[in-house]
Amino acid sequence: MKKKLLCVLLAVSLTGTMLMAGCGSKAQDEPQTIDDIEAAPEAPEAEEAGETKGTEEGALADTQEMVFVLNNEPDGIDPNVTNNSFATPFLSNCFEGLVTYDEKGEVVPGNAESWESNDDLTVFTFHLREGLKWSDGTDLTANDYVYSALRVLTPETTSQYVNMISDYVVNGQEFYDGTASAEDVGIKALDDNTLEFTLKAPCPYFIDLVSMWVYFPVQQATIEANGDKWTATAEAYVSNGPFKITEMNMGESMILEKNENYWNAENVTLEKLTFRYVLDTSTALTAYESGEVDGVRMVPSSDLARLKAENAGLVSTPNYGTVYYDINCSKAPFDNPLVRKALNLAIDREALINNVAQVDGQPAFSFLAPGYVVDGKDVTEGRSDFGLTATADVEGAKAALAEAGYPDGEGFPTVQLSFYSDDNVKKIAEAIAEMWEQNLGISVEVSSADWAVFYDAVQAGNYEVAAMGWSADYVNPMSFLPLLYTDDVTNNSFYSNPDYDAVVDQIKVEKDPAKFAELVQQADEIVSADYPVLGLYYKSNTYLIKDYIEGVYMVSSSNIYFQNAKVLAH
Amino acid sequence: MIRYFAKRLGIMLVALFLIMLLTFCIMHAVPGGPFTSDRNMSEEVEAALNAKYHLDRPLPEQFFEYVSGVLRGDLGPSYKYPGKEVNDFVENGFPVSARLGFVTIVFVLLAAIPMGILAAVKNGKWQDMLLMAVATIGVTIPSFVIASVLIYVFSFKLNVLPTYGLDTWKGYILPVVALGGYSISYMARLMRSSLLEVMGQDYIRTARAKGLSEIKVILKHAMRNALIPVVTVLGPTIANLLTGSFVIEKIFAIPGLGGYFVTSVSQRDYTTIMGVTIFYASFLMAMILLVDVFYCLIDPRIKYE
Repeated sequence: MKKKLLCVLLAVSLTGTMLMAGCGSKAQDEPQTIDDIEAAPEAPEAEEAGETKGTEEGALADTQEMVFVLNNEPDGIDPNVTNNSFATPFLSNCFEGLVTYDEKGEVVPGNAESWESNDDLTVFTFHLREGLKWSDGTDLTANDYVYSALRVLTPETTSQYVNMISDYVVNGQEFYDGTASAEDVGIKALDDNTLEFTLKAPCPYFIDLVSMWVYFPVQQATIEANGDKWTATAEAYVSNGPFKITEMNMGESMILEKNENYWNAENVTLEKLTFRYVLDTSTALTAYESGEVDGVRMVPSSDLARLKAENAGLVSTPNYGTVYYDINCSKAPFDNPLVRKALNLAIDREALINNVAQVDGQPAFSFLAPGYVVDGKDVTEGRSDFGLTATADVEGAKAALAEAGYPDGEGFPTVQLSFYSDDNVKKIAEAIAEMWEQNLGISVEVSSADWAVFYDAVQAGNYEVAAMGWSADYVNPMSFLPLLYTDDVTNNSFYSNPDYDAVVDQIKVEKDPAKFAELVQQADEIVSADYPVLGLYYKSNTYLIKDYIEGVYMVSSSNIYFQNAKVLAH
Repeated sequence: MIRYFAKRLGIMLVALFLIMLLTFCIMHAVPGGPFTSDRNMSEEVEAALNAKYHLDRPLPEQFFEYVSGVLRGDLGPSYKYPGKEVNDFVENGFPVSARLGFVTIVFVLLAAIPMGILAAVKNGKWQDMLLMAVATIGVTIPSFVIASVLIYVFSFKLNVLPTYGLDTWKGYILPVVALGGYSISYMARLMRSSLLEVMGQDYIRTARAKGLSEIKVILKHAMRNALIPVVTVLGPTIANLLTGSFVIEKIFAIPGLGGYFVTSVSQRDYTTIMGVTIFYASFLMAMILLVDVFYCLIDPRIKYE
């Protein structure tokens, strides 16, 4: 009763201020917000109703505008140059590459309406849509793609993702080094709508690669006119995606408006999208909760649990990365899978995630993160848990250790647990050490060093168990699988299994997506049953979005898309 | 007098050069560079970046290239934000910080001086106790705590003021109070003690003996002398407030200059570090010079030779 009264009082005082302030469009948001905050914990049905209502039921708001807070300013928004993840909101909404991602996280046609490859996966041909245009109304052709790729391959461009092209395309590296001419590079416009890539080696995941923004087209005219200042003004920033930038306020905000020249503009409902920089995540959260903004990119980790409980619009999506510990499989007693199993069983992942690290993540039982989707289904869906649970299985752990010949940890040498200097990593390492000592009766010695020193030691194999993590640059299991492939440079566990290597070799040349997914799962089953790493959690991205905004989605590469966004009447 | 100020100007320029040299050396001595990131960058890309910004040249050459740029009014390109110039940061950020700073200074003066006078006049009475208690709290509580409490109360609970930005006049209220809190408290205390000291002097007794009203004694005779310490701290305070506060600008998402002081260092954005340092140093020195000019106006006894 008291709560309700407070509600009414707040609502009244709010309406009062709104009238005084007379700030039009925002006025409707506020009472709704109070509702959200006060009523949400008791009314989970409201959330469900919101999810099922779909487009037919929810009437659109009169003004299709929204404000989304970004908590970091990108260092640059030139798709050819930057590798900064803070640039994703701009690049994935102002630009579109040959392929893009749908809301399920699956690769779908973008600028290219179809593509094919030759049998040995070395020549990929893309067919662009008819009548593609830049945001300034000029034509966009296959030649623009060639120009962009060659621009990336020019050292003066200082492209940070250059190796994503030069490692794959014929003569890419040679052109970069100045020993090959532009004509030799394996990127050709066969005609205005046909683009052909010739690769050095078979690459079944090339389609996933071209979804990266380094492959996006940029307009030659504006770059020649403005040099590297073409990203500095809204007029010069010519793009080809669902939105275009119409206003740049340095350090304050960027205003995006619908790009009428986008090939699919008729299906873009949102008219205006304001990206507002609020670097302080607590301020951003307060602005969100008081209804000043419609969404926030990052959430303070201490508020995650509360926001989840309040159904405040917290969205959590997998990020293609895993946080794990490498176990040195070439060193006794860690060369024994049973020992590694015991170490895996003895840790309480849920406690590590929720209490120690306080992150939003899913317990990891494998090194391969979910996030790659084939036919609407994640390739990791339905895989085994390899006998592991989210919480510690003390009995199982003890049994495994006993089976390995160390009943109750007797005779087990002191484990060296190394990590790199970082507050959160340190907390996790200390918690793991405690769990092992308590649950297995073994002793653990924890040590840390600066990243450079630490990583050198890990690569050289001078460690027993070491903190590690992997975030993929491109969304394809092939960015993970080499981590455990015999003698791969990234294989820091020194794990080796011919069966696994054989399956990975098959994956490398598999063209059929369904078969590819099947093989990936097979490889994962083989390798994770051997416990070569100590998986902790799969990374996630969390952001906040009000329930009256529909259609915003984020995929595992952390790209956030607003092209389907709709503001519902509220 | 002119000669004196010309000499001061000369000393300022020498100081500025030393500041530049020192900043440059310290900055390059700190490990890491502008292109170190959490993602591994291939060596050839890093080499290309270093070549583009001449970071592959010897340090003395880089320094003299930079100084000659500064002499032409060019603070150089930002290394961290390709396509942007440090001049852009200053030109875009300073007006925002200065606007907020100016409002804050006016607020500080309007609040601190009357507070100080009142406390001095009511010396030892409850008004004095109350004001000085408030001032003590204001000096001891950090601005970010004040800011967080203000946001919580006025934006979140009461929802009467915006949480962030300076889009309307209402946006100024919270940052101005948070930013000015310390200065108000400090200056009010200074004003009070300085006024109390002056009030005990002989010429005040003379003024009273002449039969002047207490208000006239304070405003006409005591104030002018009592203001000198306040004016002394006013110079650096103005320089600080006008060039922006990192903490307040971050909390209230104000796109001012303050943020660059800290982010540029953690990003090792060399030209930005140099740019904002030079800007702030010259501004601060100019303010101190201005305060010295001001002394002459307030107190005719002060003369510069």
